[in-house]
Amino acid sequence: MKVEFINPFIESVHKLFTTMLGCEAKRADAKLTRVSDNPRQITALIGLSGTARGTVALSFPMETAVAMANRLLGADNTVSDDSVSDAVGELVNIVAGGAKAMFCTESSVPIDLSLPNVIRGERHTVEFPSDAMWLDVPFTSDLGPFNLRVAFEMNGRKRRDN
Amino acid sequence: MKVLVVDDSAVMRKVIIGALSQAGFNDICQAADGQEAVTKVMAGDYGIVLMDWNMPNMSGLDALKAIRTNKSKVPIIMVTTEAEKSRIIDALKAGANNYIIKPFKPETIASKVGEVLAKASV
Repeated sequence: MKVEFINPFIESVHKLFTTMLGCEAKRADAKLTRVSDNPRQITALIGLSGTARGTVALSFPMETAVAMANRLLGADNTVSDDSVSDAVGELVNIVAGGAKAMFCTESSVPIDLSLPNVIRGERHTVEFPSDAMWLDVPFTSDLGPFNLRVAFEMNGRKRRDN
Repeated sequence: MKVLVVDDSAVMRKVIIGALSQAGFNDICQAADGQEAVTKVMAGDYGIVLMDWNMPNMSGLDALKAIRTNKSKVPIIMVTTEAEKSRIIDALKAGANNYIIKPFKPETIASKVGEVLAKASV
């Protein structure tokens, strides 16, 4: 994965936070990884296909996910488990959707999004079946820490990063 | 006025309904996919529809096309993460009255709905 491919996803995270969550998200240094070695308790994943392919994941400690769902809903620690999963799925959808638009020129075919999936569990890991690599970007925010993880290739090509 | 909010995310429906309520809309119904939206629009008397794009069973774009094929002129605003210009053009060509890209501020919902309803009443 080309490191510069991460920038639209980072920009999309910033826009999501300032527009709908009412705070800033601050990023730390990105790193390439094969397995998510900074396990969180809930991960939302979405697939990209068409003129590009890849996967975008947002992983949260449960406290961060609950805080984000509450902020989205304007609630105060009253969201249900289902609402937390639903909310993080929508967040990854928004991040991926915003980023994919930045890869498209006026004449190019849009990248397609899958429906989001949410994985919950203590110290779960997310791996690719092949040797593709994640670019992992840790963030901090007023709502708590989280990680953006992206595996992405343009034109349907999948470069092997050994 | 009766409003239909269509999104497969219950959280996003609540966010949009919250914005509409703040703008003074109280008669708000929900649908979780395009098929449910088509059924409700054809059976009900809605003043405006806010429609997501990527949903299971039937996409928002397909629902929009089905509603227009059924000769309904109900104003429809797409509310979606699909932000590419070509997607927006596809939706407008299919009969969408306006377009809101997620993420959005609550006031954007109110202003776009007001804009579309004002045009529809002319």
